[in-house]
Amino acid sequence: MNPLTNDAVRLQLEDFSLDAEVSALRAHSKRIGGIATFLGCTRDFSEARAVREITFEAYHAMALAELINLREEAMLRFGLIDARIIHRLGTVQAGENIVLIVAGAEHRAPAFDACRWLIDELKARAPIWKKEITPQGESWVTPHP
Amino acid sequence: MIDILFFGPVAERAKTRQIRLDYREGLRWQDVRDTLQTRHPEAFEIVSIVAVNGQRVGEQDTASLPDGAEVVFMSAFSGG
Repeated sequence: MNPLTNDAVRLQLEDFSLDAEVSALRAHSKRIGGIATFLGCTRDFSEARAVREITFEAYHAMALAELINLREEAMLRFGLIDARIIHRLGTVQAGENIVLIVAGAEHRAPAFDACRWLIDELKARAPIWKKEITPQGESWVTPHP
Repeated sequence: MIDILFFGPVAERAKTRQIRLDYREGLRWQDVRDTLQTRHPEAFEIVSIVAVNGQRVGEQDTASLPDGAEVVFMSAFSGG
């Protein structure tokens, strides 16, 4: 296993499969009645500039611990049956996947609510930084809602 | 020793990712900041989050650092 992984919560260099992650969540329990997903992707345009790729850097140990805590908090807060959080690091080309949140609950409302809460909290709490690579140069991204 | 780590935009401004300082009894994370701020003022302009051994700390946390502590000075996160 990759040292940065712990199955349902992972920081990884390689791309991930939305289908595979949803299937893994569904395999966990047949009590799940609603699954919500958030898939963050690399835009090819930002702040009036073309973006070729984004580089992600993390304080690995703390970021992984925060994501594990977030998953556990969401499970309790929204009564989820299962949740998965995957975030890529390293270089991600425009159009590729960055982050995936999958939340499974008995009903749709807690799944939707948890998914929104998880991505918002991830942005605020996980020590990860991104740098946009553009034809004009490179710049670190300032956080925004 | 005290290990100080920088990541992302802070590391770029500091032009380094790691600094080691000698441990001394009673040293607090604020003392480390005050020492390094004068060496790397541009980096500390954007520091808004601090962690000691993987736990976020604030100004109210004034406990002495243990020998071997890891102190990380970070800018606002931008993952996701």
